[in-house]
Amino acid sequence: MADPSTLREAQSLIESQGLRFEPDLDDLVGLYDNGRMVGCGARKGYVLKMLAILPDYQGTSVLGELVTRLTLGGMAAGHDTLFIYTQPQSAPSFQSLNFRLLVTQGPVALLEHGPGLEAYLGDHAAQIAPGQNGAVVINGNPFTLGHLHLVETAAQRVDRLYLFVVREDRSAFPFDVRFRLAQEATTHLENVVVLDTSRYAVSAGTFPSYFLKRLDEVAMAQMGIDVRLFAQRIAPKFHITTRFVGEEPHCTTTAAYNQVMSEVLHEHAIQWVEVPRILAGGSPISATRVRQAFIDNEIDALKNLVPESTFEFLRSAPARPIADCLRSC
Amino acid sequence: MHIRRKASSGTMQSSDLMVTVEPSDLLQIEIESTVKKQFEHLIRAQITATLEHLGVTTGRIQISDRGALDYAIAARIETAIRRASEE
Repeated sequence: MADPSTLREAQSLIESQGLRFEPDLDDLVGLYDNGRMVGCGARKGYVLKMLAILPDYQGTSVLGELVTRLTLGGMAAGHDTLFIYTQPQSAPSFQSLNFRLLVTQGPVALLEHGPGLEAYLGDHAAQIAPGQNGAVVINGNPFTLGHLHLVETAAQRVDRLYLFVVREDRSAFPFDVRFRLAQEATTHLENVVVLDTSRYAVSAGTFPSYFLKRLDEVAMAQMGIDVRLFAQRIAPKFHITTRFVGEEPHCTTTAAYNQVMSEVLHEHAIQWVEVPRILAGGSPISATRVRQAFIDNEIDALKNLVPESTFEFLRSAPARPIADCLRSC
Repeated sequence: MHIRRKASSGTMQSSDLMVTVEPSDLLQIEIESTVKKQFEHLIRAQITATLEHLGVTTGRIQISDRGALDYAIAARIETAIRRASEE
């Protein structure tokens, strides 16, 4: 990683272009002319960010040079598909580098380079069925009886229900565990297909905000991009006409998210259905509650909150490090 | 030659292309190009001819092209394949 003086140089270049410096990065490249940094850019995971170029060097080969380096670094780190979130007016610069525009929402444009969405849809071609299909998107951290109730309710109302499990690993339970528990809990439901969202569920964890002027815009912009990506790119391919969500009486973020979602889906003629939570012991079942019971080792309480498959997992050896992690952080 | 591992060559600069090759049981050629509409068939023909010349029959070949000329395509493909086939 770059030394402190290089980082400072990059930071002042980024800020001089009206962007915000985000220290969360895996790779940083700078391009110099006569010892002066004239362009820089960074990568965090599969997301490129903070591309900044001095005005005199814009429209030259600098952008191609920076993006080439960042792309090769990303590929070496195992990311064949790379995202860039930027201002809509900057989208054409990236399109001329073979980035494809995925979605635009207000002050944000999302583009990708590499096999990307087309390959994702191609990989799932066998699971795509005609009809009036539905979708549920969950993190499933871990899968609860609340999730099961939502899935069962939704599955009754559509031809096929796609249960998308968010790929992004920012949760205590790793993706492969969350995915497997969702599959195991729904094997009895013949019209339910469990899918991986891949990169196409935009979480707050991967959404960079360096190009947004105001921090209070960030959460709304992230939600808008996520929902539009679903409504414009995912739903039509899977013939999804209804999206089901669990009611969120407590969490204000999720409640705000549901509000944005219902509005955007309506614009795209996709029905939005909120399913009331089921209760256990008088209060709603949530993954938060399950995690608490799990780290407190309340076995009897857990039995009333999760399906058999999740219960078995929580009692198994591989679950122990997850409990330790939950306790310490 | 045989593609043993993943390798790349080239750049995203104008008139150049970036090539990534990796092992695969099939021969897959994926083309992104700023001039795809007009020239995809010619780009594909150049890639196929170069692979034949090098004796490559399987592998996944991805290219991101910005209007490279034939000889640049041939050179970048050959470089990526040579890198990918090293012992």
